[in-house]
Amino acid sequence: MSIYLTRRDRLQGGPTLDPVTLWRYNVKARLRLEFCFHRVTGNTDVFEQQWAHEELLCRVTGGEIKELCQQFPHGITDQVIQNDMPHLEPQQRAMAINKLLSLGQLDLLRNSSGLLYRMKDMQSTSKMKGSDNQEKLVYQIIEDAGNKGIWSRDIRFKSNLPLTEINKILKNLESKKLIKAVKSVAASKKKVYMLYNLQPDRSVTGGAWYSDQDFESEFVEVLNQQCFKFLQSKAEAARDSKQSPMVQRNSSFATSHEVWKYICELGISKVDLSMDDIETILNTLIYDGKVEMTVIAAKEGTVGSVDGQMKLYRGVNPVIQPTGVVRTPCGLCPVFEDCHEGGEISPSNCIYMTEWLDF
Amino acid sequence: MTAQEVRLCGLLLQEHFGEVVAKVGTHLLKSGAQNLRTIIHETGISLDLVKKSLCVLVQHGTCVFSSGRKAPGSPTEYRTSCDRILRILRYPRYIYTAKTLYGDTGELIIEELLQRGDMTMSSTVKTVADRLTQNMEEGRSMDYSEVSSAFSKLVETHFLQRCPPMAGAGTKDSGTPATPATPAIPESFPDCYRVPHVTLIGRGKRRLSNEDGEDQRNAKKTKMDSETHGDEGIYWQVNFERFHLHFRDQAIISAVANKLDQTSSEIVRTMLRMSEVTTSPTATCTKPLSANEIFRSLPSSYNIPRPILDQYLTLLVDDPMEFVGKAGESGGGMYVVNLHKALANLARATLESVVQERFGSRSARIFRLLLRKRHLEQKQVEDFAMIPAKEAKDMLYTLLSQNLVQLQEIPKTPDYAPSRTFYLYTVNQLPTARMLLQNCYKTVANLIERRLFESKESKRLLEKSQRIEAILASLQASGAEPEQLTEVEEMITAPEKQQLEALRLHINKLDSAENQVDETIFLLESYVNSTATS
Amino acid sequence: MAGKGRGVAAFTFNIEALGIGRGSMPEARVGPTPLFPNTDFKPVPLKAGEDEDYMLALKQEMRGTMQRLPHNIKPQTNKAEVEKYTERYLKQTQMDDEEWAPDWNLFPKELMPQKKKPRAKPGIKKKTVKISRKDTENILSKLEELAKKDEGNPEKSDDETEKKTGNKDEEEEIEAEEYEEEDIEEDNDYIESYFDNGEDFAPDSDENMDGEATY
Repeated sequence: MSIYLTRRDRLQGGPTLDPVTLWRYNVKARLRLEFCFHRVTGNTDVFEQQWAHEELLCRVTGGEIKELCQQFPHGITDQVIQNDMPHLEPQQRAMAINKLLSLGQLDLLRNSSGLLYRMKDMQSTSKMKGSDNQEKLVYQIIEDAGNKGIWSRDIRFKSNLPLTEINKILKNLESKKLIKAVKSVAASKKKVYMLYNLQPDRSVTGGAWYSDQDFESEFVEVLNQQCFKFLQSKAEAARDSKQSPMVQRNSSFATSHEVWKYICELGISKVDLSMDDIETILNTLIYDGKVEMTVIAAKEGTVGSVDGQMKLYRGVNPVIQPTGVVRTPCGLCPVFEDCHEGGEISPSNCIYMTEWLDF
Repeated sequence: MTAQEVRLCGLLLQEHFGEVVAKVGTHLLKSGAQNLRTIIHETGISLDLVKKSLCVLVQHGTCVFSSGRKAPGSPTEYRTSCDRILRILRYPRYIYTAKTLYGDTGELIIEELLQRGDMTMSSTVKTVADRLTQNMEEGRSMDYSEVSSAFSKLVETHFLQRCPPMAGAGTKDSGTPATPATPAIPESFPDCYRVPHVTLIGRGKRRLSNEDGEDQRNAKKTKMDSETHGDEGIYWQVNFERFHLHFRDQAIISAVANKLDQTSSEIVRTMLRMSEVTTSPTATCTKPLSANEIFRSLPSSYNIPRPILDQYLTLLVDDPMEFVGKAGESGGGMYVVNLHKALANLARATLESVVQERFGSRSARIFRLLLRKRHLEQKQVEDFAMIPAKEAKDMLYTLLSQNLVQLQEIPKTPDYAPSRTFYLYTVNQLPTARMLLQNCYKTVANLIERRLFESKESKRLLEKSQRIEAILASLQASGAEPEQLTEVEEMITAPEKQQLEALRLHINKLDSAENQVDETIFLLESYVNSTATS
Repeated sequence: MAGKGRGVAAFTFNIEALGIGRGSMPEARVGPTPLFPNTDFKPVPLKAGEDEDYMLALKQEMRGTMQRLPHNIKPQTNKAEVEKYTERYLKQTQMDDEEWAPDWNLFPKELMPQKKKPRAKPGIKKKTVKISRKDTENILSKLEELAKKDEGNPEKSDDETEKKTGNKDEEEEIEAEEYEEEDIEEDNDYIESYFDNGEDFAPDSDENMDGEATY
């Protein structure tokens, strides 16, 4: 194919490349793609088998370092890696180590001799010593579930073990502090299991809005009101400034960061709120019809900007007053459908109407 | 035609034209076009009364007739129009609008025409001049020419139009194809807005007090007998469609004032006024206007410098309500008022207002959320609205049971197994607006029924007070002693007076509520109609 | 069409699949619900201001006027005794110059009042019209004579007839086309009383002080 492409390019009189170079580029691109895919799916081993061709084509540096670490369960220094893999350039080595760190496969320790890299699951694997295969299987399933956790029913489904057996294993693992049970906000009576050292996902804890899986409705409403108060006063100040309409409009805007700062300074929240949390609250104000949001492009690094964009919020006035029909009892009547002149419920005997007329 | 519409029409006809007309009118609403014999047969009302009723209905434009529809020479058929009868509810607003636009004279012209259905220009002018003279201080009177010119102005601005001539009456069936530019059938004849030459010189006459009654009558008699004014046979009626365009524009202007500010609303007002002539009644937006033109047309009293106008226009275009849109760059930017979009947004705000007041602000949050996000699962509703699962479930159920939100099933498997089906909540604005409109008709009918009930309850007392007032009036006229007057006055006891006062307040409240519900009706009707034409 | 979705039965699907179980259904909470259950929210106060007050006044005035206009057709039953006071005093406020003489050019001919003849069958009607074309001139001249007689003798008829004469020619002309053989004098009288709501048949005429039997 490379040959075909260079011929085509030559025929077209375009810039030509040596077929070998082109082939090399193509292979490199493909390898990079395959590696990314396998890394994402967690099968770098498979990648090595399929594509590395005994290091003829490429080398999975991470794997080598991992192997090395396994040989030294107490950790290795950078020097050891350097010595063991002289073919790696310092830059490549650093990249590989960083990847492993970010993937959570390596721990970075510090001792007298400097920085030390150590395989992360060393500890747990050692603790798993003496466990039988069933226990290992359950542990594996829980580990796979990550920080979202897994229900015992789903463990049974995946492991094909009897429920009583699973409960026993779970208890056992819990007592060894290998796993923990977390109450999920999604279904209040169900517990999910995850590895002991994991921070539960927001979907499990519900984030800032839950305390012990109870939704703190009042807290949300207080924040909703406070955010609105802030935006409203900003809009009022803008209106009173008597500046040109454009300046007025623009100064009525607040970024989510500004609102976040205001709420933090108010000190009404016991938990730390993130900017996302505040944006969630600001969104409820949008659905309340009290606030509008605009997204503008922002310079990278501007406070409150995300991916070169910034969300601006402003308090707005309603377009209409309450509509006429809700100024009558019928507009709010819970038995409207059952009301007929001459019937049991009728305009003549309606108590809502009576109350309203005498008010 | 729904049962609610028929019921309300019946009540309106009854209040204004009596129960016989109401019976004939609602019968025709339910049965569609019918000939005279069938009407008599099916209603069991005497020939004489049916004929009178039909005359009344035709006179007030609430009934059209056509002959030979089924076969040449087949009997004339009558058909009542529900929309037209419902307009009766809006009469106060038409009159009031005429007052704000054209003063007392405009007010009385519209009022007289609505009362009579149609009139010639000359008789309208005379009646109105007489009524105005009546209210002037002694020795002053209203010149016919002044009323004439107000009348002409109302015609010029299309608030009045000629009744279609009889020849057209036979063909003005609803099936008549109408070009988009002239959808109203009356506009299909060329002289619709042409004021005839009327010879009318004189001033309004004061109706004299009782002793002179005979003279007055004689004077009137000779006047009516002898004078012709050259406009005999040319009848005029109120052009409701034109009033509705005005109401629509007012609604948009006031929405802009609420949402943005006064100045923005004045700019939109100017744009709408500039487009009155050029934009067809059913257009989705006004003809594009350049910033230059708008600037030239702004009343100088607004004092808006050109660069500031540009800023206002930009802000109007930026606003999510999209009242104003940008249509091009020439002439300093071309702008339109998005008439239909504005109506849709106002209707949406109306629906939101209903949910808000009826179910509270958190249900309204869910409702708005669904309006914006279209389809959401229950879990998503909870998360976006930040409302606990149980509460959100209750609210969604309540909204669902009132048909304010709908539920869609999206099965993952063809067997529709509930466990493998997505349930998506959604709000359908147009059907919801239609439903709410029906609720409004029912609400007005309920208010009328309650008013009738309240009056009936106090009927004897009302009669008594009317009787006493009449006696007082005649005593006063005959110069009775003050003691005599107080004696008569005291025939109504204090508790009775209290009861009468309470009744008066109740009736005022119910009447006022009718007027205000009609504002909701107007917005929803305009929105529903706009979706049919755009 | 709309607004009928009360209760679970209205849904085509299993509502419990939504997690809206029987227990959580608002309707199922407590035993029998009261006829008028308590409401959480009260109506917003009516708008109040000059505009609203004026429109309220216009509405009430309009209703009052319309009820006194001849367009308000009352059933021709005998007036109940109970109503006599109201009738009497209402009458004083009624406009005294109201008769309604429709311009028959704008109405179907068949709606014109006629006394003696039963409704003509459509076929016959067509024929009559044709015949009338020939005889129109004839009749017109007769009518003119009659009209002159009327005008020359105003005292003879009452006020109402007087006011009508302006329109009379036209009316009669059209009538004549259809009901050529009808007694014109009688027909005239009929028109006069046609839209007077039968007020002049009011029972207690001795109480009718002002002698204005018209509407």
